[in-house]
Amino acid sequence: MTRFAPIAAVGALLAVGVAAVLLLTPAGEPTDGERADVLARELRCPDCQGLSVADSPTQSGAEIRRQIDRLLASGASPDDVRAHFVGRYGEWILLAPSSPLPWLIPFIVLGLATVVLVAWLVRARADPEERSVPVSPGARRSIHDEAEALDA
Amino acid sequence: MSRVTLRRIRWLLVPLLVVPLGWLLFTGFGRDPREVSSPLIGAPAPEWTLPTLDGGTLSSADLAGRPYIVNFWASWCIPACVDEHPVLASVHERQGEELQLVGVLYQDSAADAEAFLARYGDAGYPHVIDDAGRLAIDFGVTGPPETFFVDAGGIVRDKQFGPLTDALMADRLGAILAAAGP
Repeated sequence: MTRFAPIAAVGALLAVGVAAVLLLTPAGEPTDGERADVLARELRCPDCQGLSVADSPTQSGAEIRRQIDRLLASGASPDDVRAHFVGRYGEWILLAPSSPLPWLIPFIVLGLATVVLVAWLVRARADPEERSVPVSPGARRSIHDEAEALDA
Repeated sequence: MSRVTLRRIRWLLVPLLVVPLGWLLFTGFGRDPREVSSPLIGAPAPEWTLPTLDGGTLSSADLAGRPYIVNFWASWCIPACVDEHPVLASVHERQGEELQLVGVLYQDSAADAEAFLARYGDAGYPHVIDDAGRLAIDFGVTGPPETFFVDAGGIVRDKQFGPLTDALMADRLGAILAAAGP
């Protein structure tokens, strides 16, 4: 089982990391300002190259930030604010996809790859003959003859 | 699946993985990531009331009942806005009262816009000043030129991302003029 020790170590590290993130996340109700900051980081600045509204120096970025503040002050939830901008720009305005599928794909691929690798390793160990190259009777005979010729 | 068949089709695996991936990357890099289809198509056009370049006020309510075109442009948008300028002017001349055109200044000063119109020709349709860029955000504009085609019922029917040509204009106009017909 020692061969699985590195895998177990990586798993343990990941678990510790996830636990740390969960524990260090501040508890309590965020203020409107904090909610607006989070939304500004999630929304794409429409006339920048790959920048969020929070990082944007442009007029559009500033106006979207103002609209976020106004919408939150009028009682809109963060989901309402996202929907407000998605209704104008489409999903494109969100820097991260809202569907869970893209987040799961790496894990699905990793899982499949592990299954394939394990299956391959198990089979290679179970029957080592499998990996040797078959030699035809003709070739076997000629090798035998050549060996005899060398001995002679 | 037997081992023999697996071995026989193994050589297929590489093209099966590489070809779709290559196709995805090839087509993906070929398109402008900002050119996204607008969720506004099929929905009511945003409502607005804005000052015009000539000192008046224009509102979306003033345009109700006939098809209209909203063209976001800027004097600094060169050459795209210069290229499409005669296309818009000729449609305005041809369609007359049948179709309203509205220019929206996108992050531009009134003085620069006036200089642009003086240089490239003012077809006479109104231009509104969208100072904070709120109308651009309501229409989901990412950069000029972008043009929206609204039918007589106030529904956005089409959008042009980038400069209009005569052919594109004729195609897009079909969506709103047909809808306005009897």
